[in-house]
Amino acid sequence: MIRVKNLTKEFGGTDNGGGVLALSDISFEVRDNEFVTVIGPSGCGKTTLLRIIAGLIPYQHGEVSIDAHPVVGPGPERAVVFQSFALLPWTDVLGNVTFGLDVRGATKSDSQAKARDLIRLVGLEGFERRLPKELSGGMQQRVGLARALAVNPRILLMDEPFGALDEQTRRLLQEQLLQLWERERKTVVFITHSMEEAVMLGDRVMLMTPRPGQVKEMIAVPLKRPRPPDIEKSPAFVEIKEYLWENLRAMQTEQP
Amino acid sequence: MKSMTASEAVIKPTAAQNIGSSRTLHRVLHRYAPEVLALLGGAVVWECLGWWLGLQWLPPFSQVIRALVQFVGSGVILSNLQSSLMSLIVGFALSLVFGLVLGALMGRYRVIEKAFDVYVHALFVCPSILFAPIFFAMFGLSDASRVAIIFVYSTFVIVINTATAIRTVDPSLVEMAYSFGCRERQIFTRILLPASLPLVFAGIRLGMGRAVKGMINGEMLIAFVGLGALAQKYGAQFDAAKVFAIAMVVLIIGLVSNAFVQALESRLTRWAD
Repeated sequence: MIRVKNLTKEFGGTDNGGGVLALSDISFEVRDNEFVTVIGPSGCGKTTLLRIIAGLIPYQHGEVSIDAHPVVGPGPERAVVFQSFALLPWTDVLGNVTFGLDVRGATKSDSQAKARDLIRLVGLEGFERRLPKELSGGMQQRVGLARALAVNPRILLMDEPFGALDEQTRRLLQEQLLQLWERERKTVVFITHSMEEAVMLGDRVMLMTPRPGQVKEMIAVPLKRPRPPDIEKSPAFVEIKEYLWENLRAMQTEQP
Repeated sequence: MKSMTASEAVIKPTAAQNIGSSRTLHRVLHRYAPEVLALLGGAVVWECLGWWLGLQWLPPFSQVIRALVQFVGSGVILSNLQSSLMSLIVGFALSLVFGLVLGALMGRYRVIEKAFDVYVHALFVCPSILFAPIFFAMFGLSDASRVAIIFVYSTFVIVINTATAIRTVDPSLVEMAYSFGCRERQIFTRILLPASLPLVFAGIRLGMGRAVKGMINGEMLIAFVGLGALAQKYGAQFDAAKVFAIAMVVLIIGLVSNAFVQALESRLTRWAD
């Protein structure tokens, strides 16, 4: 279980203040095997929140813990999928997928066998020896996903993973992610700026306010799983999406 | 042009096999046609101007070639070349090790960069030949003087390039590595070093060129051996043909060393093309 309690994050400044308040008094929990999507206006600190949970940046006040262990840095139970893919341009698909296993000291044959399984799982069989620059954006992010899954994390932290992709590719990857999730039911925190994506993927949607980011509302998504591709047409889906948009629009117009 | 030769090869594969070597020559000539033509043209112009103007400082190209052949034949070039190359290799190897290590540390750690930046830039901007008298006083006429000159010529451009290369590595790659639990040493070996290679090699190439310059300048000023000393000697005698002949040897050293670094670079950084 991921537990965030009264989390406040300030960038820059000193002990006496003067910095930029990115997150203010955030509290929420993500249960095991739960898929939580996080949406909010641009600059609300959702990526900052994810990076704090990932242990990539420090925080000043509050508690962030995984199964009651405070987060003090990255850990083997968590893996991150990045918006920019963050693939190593000098090594091929196989080399990228084995990265996490290699740095954790797995033997070469183990990590390669594991990586080949995952490459197959994300549908990139036959591309093992291609360099990232030879792949489309969608394929690159599949490599990013396979790399994260390779270390077998219990928690998957996804930072707008499909944000840089075109609409069609994004739809395909969303469907694929749903299928993958049905098999393993990992705990997922998924940052997005797409309302459709937030509702389609999440068990709950966390709606955040503009800077400083706060939790406006946790919205349960009562759509049954496994979710079919045409879920968007269901009245419940449309209703939640509209509700999100009303809220987000109100936040945007309140801002100067 | 290139695609035409490629399609010819597809149409006549057996013919290409039969006359393989002449085809290779043909292809090389084809590929380097502009370079070959420019060199030939330059030689012709030089030759004509040499005869036509009859200037003492501009002997015809053929005389330069004759001087070069004489040099090579008498063994003068070989012995001096050997001594020059020896100091070049030692001096450049030292500057490579020092430059890469200091550059990497400066690129990674802000404190080290702040501490050394002013020295590195001062030494980079300062004409390195200024140090010749000091090295002469320190090491006398020994090889160490020449090695030291080559070192100051080539090191700092390598430091600056390496530091920039490391500093500008995509931070998302470093963050990704952290997220998988990489320690600082792994960040260096698995992310920073490979990612910075293309820019590091640009610095190594510049450093190599400067090392050759340093070799000649050092020898001209403080040594009685080596190509630089030879050039100094014939320069004092106003024997332009011999000076040009030595210049051509230096040119060849420069081209060969550059080709060597380039070959290594393209092997290691093919991904960046």
